[in-house]
Amino acid sequence: MKKVLALFLVSILMLTACSSGSNKDTSDKGKDTKEVTVWAWDPNFNIKAMNLAKEAYKSENPDVNIKVIEHAQDDIIQKLNTSLSSGTTKGLPNIVLIEDYRAQSFLKAYPDMFHELTSSFKAADFAQYKIAPTSLDGKNYGLPFDTGVTGLYVRTDYLEKAGYKVADLQNMDWNKYIEVGKKVKEATGKSMLTQDPKDLGLIRMMIQTSGSWYLKNDGVTPDIAGNAALKDAFQTYKAILDADLVKPVSDWGQFVAGFNSGDVATVPTGNWITPSIKAEASQAGKWAVLPMPKQSGIANSVNASNLGGSSWYVLNIDGKEKAADFLGKTFGSNADFYQTLNKEMGAIGTYKPASEGEAYKAADDFFGGQKVVSDFAAWTEKIPQVNYGMHTYAIEDILAVSMQDYLKGKDLDKVLEDAQKQAEEQIK
Amino acid sequence: MRFIPERFKHNGLFIVMFFITVMMIITVSITITWTTIRMSEQFFIKKFSITNYKVMSQVKESFESFNYSVVLASNNLLQSNTIKNILTHEQFSNKEKLSAYFNTGQQLKHVETNLDAYEESIQVMGRNGFSFATNRDYWPITDEELRTSILASNTFKEPKKLIYQLDKRNDGTNRRFIVASKVLMERINGTVYGSMYFAFEESEFRRFFTSYTGPGNNVFVVDKQGIIVSSNQSKLIGKKPEGLLSYAEKIEKSSDHYIIENFMGKDQIISMEYLPSFDMYLFNMIDKQKAVGDLIDKKDIVLISMAIVFVALIIVFLATRRLTNSLSSLVKQIEDASKHEFHQYVSSAGTYETMKIGNAFNSMLDELHLYVDQLVESQKQKRNAELAALQQQINPHFLYNTLTSIKFMVQQGGKEETEATINALISLLQNTIGNVSETNTISQEVDNLKNYALINQKRYGNRIKVNYFVAPDCLEYHVPKLILQPFMENSFFHGFNRKPGGYINVLVWQEKSTLICEVVDNGDGMEISSENKLPNTKRKQQMFSGIGVRNVHERIQLIYGEPFGVTISSELGEGTKVRVELPISSI
Repeated sequence: MKKVLALFLVSILMLTACSSGSNKDTSDKGKDTKEVTVWAWDPNFNIKAMNLAKEAYKSENPDVNIKVIEHAQDDIIQKLNTSLSSGTTKGLPNIVLIEDYRAQSFLKAYPDMFHELTSSFKAADFAQYKIAPTSLDGKNYGLPFDTGVTGLYVRTDYLEKAGYKVADLQNMDWNKYIEVGKKVKEATGKSMLTQDPKDLGLIRMMIQTSGSWYLKNDGVTPDIAGNAALKDAFQTYKAILDADLVKPVSDWGQFVAGFNSGDVATVPTGNWITPSIKAEASQAGKWAVLPMPKQSGIANSVNASNLGGSSWYVLNIDGKEKAADFLGKTFGSNADFYQTLNKEMGAIGTYKPASEGEAYKAADDFFGGQKVVSDFAAWTEKIPQVNYGMHTYAIEDILAVSMQDYLKGKDLDKVLEDAQKQAEEQIK
Repeated sequence: MRFIPERFKHNGLFIVMFFITVMMIITVSITITWTTIRMSEQFFIKKFSITNYKVMSQVKESFESFNYSVVLASNNLLQSNTIKNILTHEQFSNKEKLSAYFNTGQQLKHVETNLDAYEESIQVMGRNGFSFATNRDYWPITDEELRTSILASNTFKEPKKLIYQLDKRNDGTNRRFIVASKVLMERINGTVYGSMYFAFEESEFRRFFTSYTGPGNNVFVVDKQGIIVSSNQSKLIGKKPEGLLSYAEKIEKSSDHYIIENFMGKDQIISMEYLPSFDMYLFNMIDKQKAVGDLIDKKDIVLISMAIVFVALIIVFLATRRLTNSLSSLVKQIEDASKHEFHQYVSSAGTYETMKIGNAFNSMLDELHLYVDQLVESQKQKRNAELAALQQQINPHFLYNTLTSIKFMVQQGGKEETEATINALISLLQNTIGNVSETNTISQEVDNLKNYALINQKRYGNRIKVNYFVAPDCLEYHVPKLILQPFMENSFFHGFNRKPGGYINVLVWQEKSTLICEVVDNGDGMEISSENKLPNTKRKQQMFSGIGVRNVHERIQLIYGEPFGVTISSELGEGTKVRVELPISSI
């Protein structure tokens, strides 16, 4: 009896012992301090360029892990604003891409949140017009990245039908452009350019040729009423519309479709459109790039301007030295890297020594053998330097409405005065 | 009970009781555990469904407020004269179109403020071919695609209604959109001048409920066709799983807010809300296994039950053992009682009942002993009475013959001879009849023999001689009356029928604790029968008293017990030897 019982008890004990589970070990991943995170938008351009830089940096310092994260530009702006205004830097990247038009508003609002890059690169090596928006109080904060140098992309076949040769149209002004446009329309029935009514990029390009902007040089005071360049630009804009040279579009897709389908004869815009133009391979050899037309009524206007473009900024958080070193050794001083950038993706930087490189001097068959990159590089150096200030887009929204008023027949001086008042009220 | 080995025989009761108790305990604990788990499960599911119902109501509210934003936006668009004018405009010049784009953009920007909280693209399409989208990158549908799509045809089917539809973009990203659409119509005269579309990526929709979801807790927004429009299970979006609509019906009919059904191969707690403005069902499915499985730690419960059962078993084991031990030891003792001639009393210990049984058994033994004693006593008394009666019956022939012999002696004038014979008769009668005690000393008994022998010798002559060899230390021992006289009588009357004379020797001595008396003759002897029975005396008239050879033996055995008594050995022509053995201690 006792033996049976003992067996019974032992078996119960065994069962209890067996059923106790085993705990799993959980190990936390230690944070990699050698990681440098980068935020940027546009996977085909900015992200791609950063990934190339990452490759180039590997030979310099293989230990640092560059992590490139894509966000929409609006998201980056929103995240930066929320984090920086609340004073927290948690979750922010080491490096962030900021559009030149918006750079000043960030630098002025949060000057201590950005890491000074003055010592990381030679400012003199970069196109002069890029330095003003990327620096504050004489200190460099942004490392200039792509240039927004503009050109006038033209369909040589249409121009020839209207009796023009590319050589005849170098360094023309907007009056000449309208004259050409009318002839082209006559000869081919094609419009000269597309326009999206809410985007005043054309106006911006025009006034920068004269070294003028929506804001005065202090970057704060609106410069609308009494701005001769702006007034001239408005007049030119209306003249172009009156000559019926414009094909209206409402978004980017329609804009690209406009030239890809051969509906327009010219595209006045930044050099970054090159890949989009070349995307339509059937038009190879039918394109050329002319210098930007200058303003007719403004004496100091030059045949070079800028549209868009952005620069890299290092945030004042842990790992800033590594981030600054990374930027300095790639975008800041590596001429070969710029050749790679150009070859791989057609990007043109603002680093002057890079223009000596092979890739920059290569002839492009799509543009009839024109040395497009070299030309852009040359124009880059001529771009007048302006202070984009803090409120470019705010003022543009006002001006877009003013433009419609003007087009409907309102007196131009009055239009600009009203806009000036509105801008002053809004910006204050 | 053959399978229980011999050594367990006395524990049979214990084994049966213990195993029955074990079975009962295990059965009861399993039943209770199972019932408890089931009850708590049901309770949990009920409570859980109530909170979940509230959560779903909240989700429903956010859906409703979302819908309200869309309704406001669509109303704004419907009421916008700018839009109406543009969409009813017949022919655009480039300049007019540019202005139309700008104005539409401004209008839509204004309308979009209603939908600030959400990411979306608004697209308006005019009957005149004009179209404008606020964010074509977000919802990459071309005008032509949209115009011919099922989205558009469904919209125009119900011109007065804002409808929600699922749209899938096949541009490689496979993004899915929930598109709210409505016809732009002049309500007064019913003129349709265009349509508007609000496209939201499915993820926008999803965030109304994703925070409530988790592993095993899923939400499905299902349209009237049973197609999943939005869900945290993104793989199932656009699919049409069977049964969903029938669940909706069941839930609408059921009194609770939930049903438990199988979905995706698992038992799910399903609750449902109808979204009237979307004309869609909002399903919440919770994996019952995951929800309830986590709630009740079955392992713990089983362990606790096992521990309780274990402790109960130990207690039951000890208690049962105590109870049955006293009983089985009682049984053992009772069983052994017969071996000890009922002299062994049982120990009355253990429980009240066994104590009572023990006591009853003991008193029964007492009664038994009393009865047996009484019986023995009465037997003894009966024997004594018999003996007394026999003793009193001095054979009258003996007296006649003796007295006749004395008469002849007197006639012959042998005065001294006559006197000796009369004296012998007197002391013989004195010792047998006069003495009331049961026993005589050896010396008295030997005197009796001498007197008896003398009388016989006077009557029949001296041809038989009698010799006495009595150990002096035996003289004072008491022996029952007349135990030797019958043997001497026997020798006198039967031992010398053929032989002309001989002798009779009477020997008395002790060996250790036994007193031995022998009556030995050298007469005719006899054949001893195989049964060793003592011969019966027939010639009664010659006997001295009623006491015969046979009843001497019976008397001794009655008084002293089995090992004592009379043994007779005899050989024809050699003589007879009678040996009487008696215990000294009890004399």
